[in-house]
Amino acid sequence: MAMNDLERLVSLQDLDLMIQEADEVAKLGFAMTGYAELQKAREELAMQIRKPLLSRYERLRAKLKRAIVPVKNDICLGCFLRQPTSLAARGREDEQIFTCENCGRMLYWLD
Amino acid sequence: MLKSELASHFNHALFIPELKATNKEAVLKELLNLFVQEKYIRNPAIVLEMLHQRETLGSTGIGKGVAIPHGRTVAASDVLIAFAKSSAGIEFGAIDNKPVHLFFMVIAPPNDEGNVYLQILGSLMPIFNNPENCKRLMAVESFEEFIGIISGE
Ligand SMILES: [Zn+2]
Repeated sequence: MAMNDLERLVSLQDLDLMIQEADEVAKLGFAMTGYAELQKAREELAMQIRKPLLSRYERLRAKLKRAIVPVKNDICLGCFLRQPTSLAARGREDEQIFTCENCGRMLYWLD
Repeated sequence: MLKSELASHFNHALFIPELKATNKEAVLKELLNLFVQEKYIRNPAIVLEMLHQRETLGSTGIGKGVAIPHGRTVAASDVLIAFAKSSAGIEFGAIDNKPVHLFFMVIAPPNDEGNVYLQILGSLMPIFNNPENCKRLMAVESFEEFIGIISGE
């Protein structure tokens, strides 16, 4: 699928969470045979993201665990602060990446 | 997690008593489509990508005719489970190489209160250790009947 920057970041974090939780999920009884393959897919995806954006993602992840979070009903699901209406309208439409003024996480509008 | 609590995470709108799909990719799409129809997910392509990656990590076909495709994604805001059944069975690359009849798709946001997501995965697994449960689930036709089995009635 053709993805924009925001979607690539979403996929990257989905992958990172999967890698991070792989051990816990394995303990529940799921077979984990493709760990190395998944790591490779992660590196390949990261290479497709612009350097400054990737660094920002890595910094936020190191500091806040989740670098990018969903926004629903204009609420940042990282810190539960309501986003200003002006930002919400643009966040839905623009390709630009917006951050939550309160927690600093990058935002992905769900609705 | 108590069986009654597990049961409360299912939803009659996310229930397919007989799948149309006949292959792995089509099953994932048919299940995801429920989440889209119910407006839980706006961008199914991102979620499908995540589910593909999850299958790369290891098949979620856990054997005994059961598959539990799952994962966290920024594209979801709540922990959701869909159930679907295929009487004919579908080739899913399960660990025992047997066709899969029972599908539980678990989608979760990046973080959730009390880590409900892992608790759900953990409480689903033991259900299939009882062959009687699998047999009953294979014959299930209504959501009410399904919830009865999940609740341990
Ligand atoms: Zn925030």
